[in-house]
Amino acid sequence: MLKAEPKTILNFLANHFDSLKDLFDIQSDEGIIRKEQLMQVLSERNDPIETQLIDYKIIRKIGDDFEFRDVYFKLFEFILNEFRPLLPETIQKYEQSIGKLFSKIREGIKGDNLILKNRIDDLNNEIREFSEAVEKNTIRLLAETRELKSNVEKLDYKEKVRKASFWIDYYIIPLNNILDINHAESITNKLFDISQYVNVRRLNFNDENIRLQFEKLYNFLVMTNDNLLRQSKLLTNELLPLIERIRTESIILTGWIEFLKQPYKSTVPKIFKPERYYPYSNDMYLNAKEYLEQFVTDENILMEDPVANSDKWVFNKELYKDRMLQQLPIDSFFDWCGLTLRSEYKDIETDKFFALTGLLFEDDIFLELDEKEPDRKLIKTSQMTLRVPKIKILKYGIS
Amino acid sequence: MEFPRYHKDIVSDLMGGKFILASDPKFVSLKESEDFYAKFFRESFAYELEVKTDFAFILSYETGEQLSRDICLFFAVLSFELDKDGKNFLEEIQYAEFEMDKIDEYFQNSSYAELILNNNQMKDSFSRKQFFTTLNRRNIIEKTAENKFTFTQAYKVFVDFAADFAKGKLSVAGVD
Repeated sequence: MLKAEPKTILNFLANHFDSLKDLFDIQSDEGIIRKEQLMQVLSERNDPIETQLIDYKIIRKIGDDFEFRDVYFKLFEFILNEFRPLLPETIQKYEQSIGKLFSKIREGIKGDNLILKNRIDDLNNEIREFSEAVEKNTIRLLAETRELKSNVEKLDYKEKVRKASFWIDYYIIPLNNILDINHAESITNKLFDISQYVNVRRLNFNDENIRLQFEKLYNFLVMTNDNLLRQSKLLTNELLPLIERIRTESIILTGWIEFLKQPYKSTVPKIFKPERYYPYSNDMYLNAKEYLEQFVTDENILMEDPVANSDKWVFNKELYKDRMLQQLPIDSFFDWCGLTLRSEYKDIETDKFFALTGLLFEDDIFLELDEKEPDRKLIKTSQMTLRVPKIKILKYGIS
Repeated sequence: MEFPRYHKDIVSDLMGGKFILASDPKFVSLKESEDFYAKFFRESFAYELEVKTDFAFILSYETGEQLSRDICLFFAVLSFELDKDGKNFLEEIQYAEFEMDKIDEYFQNSSYAELILNNNQMKDSFSRKQFFTTLNRRNIIEKTAENKFTFTQAYKVFVDFAADFAKGKLSVAGVD
């Protein structure tokens, strides 16, 4: 029975993580945490948590010393991505358990469905544990071999070869034998046999629940086989040629390998970051305009010279009316119009001529059509020749 | 006032985050007027001009950290994979022409798969192509064909960083 709520324990792990990490490192290196080591860590960290560590069942006493309970040790391994290397003979045990469960499933395929279901579940678990053990070992071996390649500790070549040979002989080659699909006795080969059998059963077993169990196991096996194949490739390409690979050394490569351990925590070289344009910046209006204009559909635009307003003639009615009144009576109104315009301009422009003829319609003008002259008079303007009657202007108003 | 030759291009290249390379005629003009440009960028924008033997760039207080980290990750994985492939990675970066298909092969089979898949610039072939476009725009790589490129001298910024990083680690480990 735990003396604390689950959330309290999780908070405790977070709040005292640094001390726990130190203790985890000690156990990873030495397999046990001696009492004096525990006291030293807690005193250095000024973190007196020995009682809670025991009460919350995070560590347990082994004689005078301590060790993490397995579930917490595995939790730390997982979140720190630092796994204890398992000897291949430890992993090999899965060959037996997987093989035994598989043969029991085959033998009891026509027996009790409940025990068959439990055996399938157990087989699933064993395969998962095996696959995770292989993956953890590969991660650890990759870390160890990168460490050798990086050689931050500046081991001499002889020492590097000795370490590399150790990893190759005791871990890499045996693990490769477990995974090598071409090796008749490899577990990977056994898993392929199992997946073939399960593939058939998931389709033709008469009980639907068991069929679904086989289906689940089959999907998991497909995923596991892919993963194991990937691990096997890593072993072949990266770990087996280790001796060859540690022959060369480069400070730059050391830097990159160290950087890749925690790439998001390291400072990186400065490179220029071009300025961003904010909506309130002075350049924003023109930049946005330029950007949007590229999406506007092109249309044909005709450019014309603007008509100069200064050239436009404006008819000054009052001026011409006064002139006309001063010259009354006028024998021929249209001749008068022509003469008036010619006195001012070189040609009689049609527009000007018509504007002037508008004076005929002024109120209080007394006019007379000369009927004695039936022939119309000809007035030549700049654009046409007009035939007009002879009209007299006799007087204006009462006068 | 008379400005150095290529003044407008020099300013717009540097302000666009480009490295100006020694092979570029602008570099000569920039180098000849280094004092002028150092003062120009400092007084106008508070940027620092860095002129190296074979390339130049500017730096601001605010830097493109994410891009720089992605570039470091790219160089780190590529160097590691080239070395694993039995090649002299530095010579390859200095002189070789890279095919994007080969880069894809290295990254797809890398043991740093988890890091690669979690990085938006490197997670797949398409992302890497876009990333190369950025590198090309910044003059860190030079495209020699649709699917080929070489590194420019700007690679030195990142390789020097790796060497300094290693020296830092070596000194922490107590090794001279």
